[in-house]
Amino acid sequence: MTSAADIRSVLSVPEPTPGSSQQIKKPVATNKRPQGISRELYELIGDSVPSVVPQQSKARLKLKPNLGSGPPRSRWEWREFRNGARTDGLRLSHWVKAGADPDAAYPFEHYNVVSNPYRYTEEEYAQLLEDPEWSKEETDYLFQMIEDYDSRFLVIHDRYEFPGGVLRSLEDLKDRYYSICRRLVRNRPWNGDESSRSKILGLLAFEKERELTRKQYLRSLENRTPEQIAEEEALYLELKRLEQTERQFKKDRDDLLRTLLGIESGLSDIQLSDDSTLHGLNTMPEIKKSKKRIGSSMEIDSPSTPSNSMIQQRRIPIVKNAAFDAQHCITRIDLPQTTVTKSSHQAAALRSYKIPTPKQAVATKVAQTLSEHGVNSSRLVMPTRENLLHLESLIEATTLLLETKKNVDRVEQDIRFMKAKVLRRDGQLGGEGGEVPMEVDQEAVADDDDVGIHSGRGARKKNARRSMSMSSVDTAAQAGRSNKRQKQG
Amino acid sequence: MVQYGGDEVAALVVDIGSSTLRAGYAGDDTPKAIIPTYYGYKSQPPDADVSMSGIGDDPSAHNSRIAKMFVGQDGPSIYREGMEVGNPMKEGLIEDFNPITPLIRHALEDVMCIRPADHPILVTEPAWNTPANRERMAEIIFEEFNAPAFYIANTSVLNAFAAGKGSALVIDIGHSEASVTPVIDGFVLRKGLVHSSLPALVHKRAKHVLTQPDQNRRGINLLPHQLVANKAPVDPGFEPQFNVREDRLQGITKSWRNWAENREASEWIHSVASVLDQGWNEQAVAARGARQYEFPTGYNYHFGAERFEIGELFFAHPQHLQAANPNLPKSLPQLISASVTSCEPDIRQVLLSNVVLGGGGSLFAGLADRLNNELNRIFNHAKIHAPGNPAERRYGSWLGGSILASLGTFHQLWISKEEWQEHGRPIVGQRCK
Repeated sequence: MTSAADIRSVLSVPEPTPGSSQQIKKPVATNKRPQGISRELYELIGDSVPSVVPQQSKARLKLKPNLGSGPPRSRWEWREFRNGARTDGLRLSHWVKAGADPDAAYPFEHYNVVSNPYRYTEEEYAQLLEDPEWSKEETDYLFQMIEDYDSRFLVIHDRYEFPGGVLRSLEDLKDRYYSICRRLVRNRPWNGDESSRSKILGLLAFEKERELTRKQYLRSLENRTPEQIAEEEALYLELKRLEQTERQFKKDRDDLLRTLLGIESGLSDIQLSDDSTLHGLNTMPEIKKSKKRIGSSMEIDSPSTPSNSMIQQRRIPIVKNAAFDAQHCITRIDLPQTTVTKSSHQAAALRSYKIPTPKQAVATKVAQTLSEHGVNSSRLVMPTRENLLHLESLIEATTLLLETKKNVDRVEQDIRFMKAKVLRRDGQLGGEGGEVPMEVDQEAVADDDDVGIHSGRGARKKNARRSMSMSSVDTAAQAGRSNKRQKQG
Repeated sequence: MVQYGGDEVAALVVDIGSSTLRAGYAGDDTPKAIIPTYYGYKSQPPDADVSMSGIGDDPSAHNSRIAKMFVGQDGPSIYREGMEVGNPMKEGLIEDFNPITPLIRHALEDVMCIRPADHPILVTEPAWNTPANRERMAEIIFEEFNAPAFYIANTSVLNAFAAGKGSALVIDIGHSEASVTPVIDGFVLRKGLVHSSLPALVHKRAKHVLTQPDQNRRGINLLPHQLVANKAPVDPGFEPQFNVREDRLQGITKSWRNWAENREASEWIHSVASVLDQGWNEQAVAARGARQYEFPTGYNYHFGAERFEIGELFFAHPQHLQAANPNLPKSLPQLISASVTSCEPDIRQVLLSNVVLGGGGSLFAGLADRLNNELNRIFNHAKIHAPGNPAERRYGSWLGGSILASLGTFHQLWISKEEWQEHGRPIVGQRCK
């Protein structure tokens, strides 16, 4: 039965002042609906309240917002304050809550972080730090600049103007500073253990030559003309085509050998040829070209040569390369062996251009999840190879986490629905058998989780089903860990 | 309040540009007072004929003769008999400090109705400002306005801050100067700083194109509306029918006339001129169509190709212009390449992915799109940040100053009056790096 109070609450009409209208309606509320007439019909014909209530209370001009019932107003004062980060007595004023402690330290004081650069004494300079290239005055000037600009070498290099000094490059400045720091750390008495000292020395390491070479590479990369880039792409396609023909040729040769010689020609040859192409792809183009010439010429000259010698010859440069790579920090990557198109070609580029981004559809969600975990994914300070991998896996893990979450939500909803269904059936039948559909569902959950988490690194096939313990919580922890690594790197 | 890092101390931000002077409270999103930097003045009667002949050539000489100054919105724009018009700025720098005090005073006291002595004041400067200039500015703020604290910040850095970036390549196109500045961690890299008076060239060229006759129309009379008594509507391209206010014609000075005609030319630029987004192309010009514009004399015309020719000057100079004078100001792509190549290769990518476009001149129709295309033609991976809100673009440097001066961590950087009195001028260079 609809009462006037209900309608009022629905329409959010204020309670009328106790008066005539209340008294008129009272008997209506007590009226009972006669049997046999539906409620809807009765409300239309019966003496119930009309669907639109006429405003019977005194008309108000305008509803004023109620400002009194909110939280109590607080008083603010325009008050002078002392900034502890200042060396003088400047007193500026700002608004503070009236009750605030007038002697409290300025809240922004502690952001005034003073960096603590290395300093040397006269003695130390005379003993350790003499350098024919640098005068004591200029070294002092450099250290003063580093202090003034908080070791921002780019800015220091820009502003560096030592009167009468020679023109210094950024690397010169860095080299001088870091070499002094290293010498100081090495020769000063050390309080901590050796590992912490070597760690600090590692942080202060700076190789000028390598830095210069790196910059030179960067420059040459930037200075490529469009023609050169186009040529690079054309060469890549040409290379791929050659490779394909070679593979085809090899296959034909093997087929031929097998038909002619039977098992003696060796099935291993097939295996090996695959192997060698793989290695060929892993190495730099220049090395590869020369190698291929050797290989192919041999093949043409003596097709029946046992392939063992060939392997031997091929393996040697690769082993050499490994040492060479380790020395020069070169990492070789597996190029995808897909069809040769222009789009599959990856031109030389800076790694910072290759920062992975989540898929468009889930990008905002991923960013949100990451920020919930306190991860700033938008800014990768040092995009090294490892960091990019970490970031990629982080994003992948997050995407999967979100997917899993979605699945879990769905399945939970299903379970709830099923449970309700079972309960209803229980009520009707009062029996068992309600558990069966639920178990099936749980199986489904486990399945989802499992596949979801392990498919990340393309190991979907290998992975046998794991237990259910690999839950979404675990994924989150994994995401957090890989992020930490990314920051350190 | 603390979580946003803001702590407002009722600081003022004063941003002096070649066209307008902006002043307002730090923490606001637009300046409260925007007054023209151009000012009107009347010379003392005995020297009147001298200053008529040569204006702006020797500011210190003619300023001693100023009898009365007219600043603010109704300063130069109102006709007054014998009024000259001056501008203290030259190539983005303050050249003549005498009118600066009245201009700032007008903005703060008359427009904002405040007492400057109660507020710390942050003033802006272009990146190529001289140490003497900034010290002079500090002196004015401390000695004449008696402010408790002062700071001078760089417009390029502030433009980057307004865009929310600490490191950026700032392209600032103003009223008379265009500059490209690399900013790293809030510091200008001076070696990469380049600027040229490109907007002034565009303006001059526009005025030249308008006033010179071509094969389709006569040269246009840029008479300002202050000198037009009445006019009759005429068809596009026909001879205007209007009457000049003969009574005023006698009283105007050469500098005022020049200022007024320049204003008509810039109005034309703002309403009609545009730049094509993919370089000069006759067909594209024809496709974009002509646009009608009416001058104060009543003369009106459909401007077609010429409205695009003007904008093209920002990006390339035509052959005949280059032949006529060899040292034209550098075009925008030239400026940008010069700036980027003088930076370390390491930071080029950082700069190019954070290009910030600012300044009122960048509101030239189509300029942002064209610049984006040009940038992507020279460098790959360039990303341009150009605020869509015109106020944010025009007052970018003021806005950055407003953000900076309302930060709680900034208040330790102010040069206080006490420090000024103790250390004198060198403190400005030490504090404001």
